[in-house]
Amino acid sequence: MNQKNNLIIGLIIAGVVVMSVNVDADPRDFVEGLPNIGIMLQEITEVDSSLFVTALWAMLETIEMAFIGTVVGVAIALPLSLLAARNLNRKFVYIPIRALLAATRTFPSILWAILFVIIVGLGPFAGVLAIIMYTVGFIAKLQYEAIEAVDADPMDAVGAIGVSKLQLIRFVVLPESASHLLSQILYIFDYNIRQTSILGLVGAGGIGFYIINYIKFFEYGKAAVFMVVVLVTVLIIDWVSVRIRDKYIIKSQRGMQVKT
Amino acid sequence: MSATKPSKVKTLGKAFAIFTKTIVQMNDISASYDSKNYVLKDIRMSVDRGSNYAIVGQSGSGKSTLLRLINGMMNPSKGKIMVDYQTPSTSDKKFKSLMHKIGYIPQNLGLIKNSTVLENILIGALPRVGGFNSFFKRFSDLEIDNAKKILKQVGLEGKAERKVYMLSGGEKRRVAIARALVQKPEIILADEIVSELDHVTAREIMDVLAEAQATMNLTAIMVHHDLQLALEYADRVAVIKEGEKILEIGVEGDKIVDFQSGNYTQREILEMFSGEPEE
Repeated sequence: MNQKNNLIIGLIIAGVVVMSVNVDADPRDFVEGLPNIGIMLQEITEVDSSLFVTALWAMLETIEMAFIGTVVGVAIALPLSLLAARNLNRKFVYIPIRALLAATRTFPSILWAILFVIIVGLGPFAGVLAIIMYTVGFIAKLQYEAIEAVDADPMDAVGAIGVSKLQLIRFVVLPESASHLLSQILYIFDYNIRQTSILGLVGAGGIGFYIINYIKFFEYGKAAVFMVVVLVTVLIIDWVSVRIRDKYIIKSQRGMQVKT
Repeated sequence: MSATKPSKVKTLGKAFAIFTKTIVQMNDISASYDSKNYVLKDIRMSVDRGSNYAIVGQSGSGKSTLLRLINGMMNPSKGKIMVDYQTPSTSDKKFKSLMHKIGYIPQNLGLIKNSTVLENILIGALPRVGGFNSFFKRFSDLEIDNAKKILKQVGLEGKAERKVYMLSGGEKRRVAIARALVQKPEIILADEIVSELDHVTAREIMDVLAEAQATMNLTAIMVHHDLQLALEYADRVAVIKEGEKILEIGVEGDKIVDFQSGNYTQREILEMFSGEPEE
């Protein structure tokens, strides 16, 4: 048994080595290339300080794109998630909706961005549309799973009163799954900001547009400035969403743990 | 021709219902979840209007299933149930009006933990509110006043805006009772509503229900674990064992009487429950 395990581990390691040679991933290149970071850091100090202002504006545009994409995406995802939940609908409703959602998720947002650049042209609008598509597929899936996990007891108790399905959704399903939704919105907003930052690589607006152009012209210092702005922004947003999560979600989940 | 026949029968049934005192009637009911093993076998039961009927049995004896049959969440595999001269079924839209008349409190209460007490109990008023208004949680002043009155009645005055997850076990049960009362029901079904409570709190909750029952002229059908508590509050107690109703007893004067067959004396009945404390 033990020998078999060793053999499997050995095979996996051998696989990594062989494949690395195949794709030309040589750790020596990494070590040799390390001093380049120093050069880049030095270049950052030589960059004109007015570039920071440009970077901040570009970041603001990125955040705006992510915000619009998240809000509109969630607004579309919520009704779809209600239709895709197995405990609320019949087969012929939830199966097509689920298939549609699965299809939107197969593309990463950067591929959606390429598609929308072709449709609506270069610029932030294509990026916003890409973010919407990805958000819809992602949030709707997480949310219909949350809806299906809603406690059967309140559904039974309220259902037995003889209320309409819409009333059941409004008074049981939405309140019982609301904390999940908030947590997912925070997560996807965070994720969308990171995604929007690279959508510029395909010409769909945002800060990535600057980054890719500076890299094309070998101005790594300037590109690095923009990357640092992305890094700091993502850290701030992450910190803020942790605070919101603590305040609104942890509290209600602790309440849920107190079973009667 | 054939279409007029059932409606005639229905009208007759309704007219008859005014004169009769039976509100729930079960004739040789059998029920199963998997069409193989019967959870309930040949249950005969009749509950009088305005009475307090208790069902007692051990876990898995089928007593919760009995309540689910009455509120229509489950259909019997054999036999016929009549509740207020209709056959209950949640899957049938025609019987919505009957469902409005039945207040059901499941074992885990089924409260919305992240909503406030008031929001929870207003759910009972939903059948009287239009779809559009209920979507925006708009209730008439009349409904809100009524809900607040019921909150006072069950002893939750001043707690309307509390979130349910912050309440104690006893308070949660009061919310569940209030929700059922806001429904303005004729029948209240409660599944082991006091089982997990301590002796004192359990009686407090039972008193709240008994008072509501008396003032609002309700029929109560309650599942209990504790025979003594059931005998204390109920007019009749059905004892279910392994899906069969083995006894129907009640207290007359200071004696326990066997209503089902009349064969057993108080001593014999108490001997059957030797594990239970005697009165």
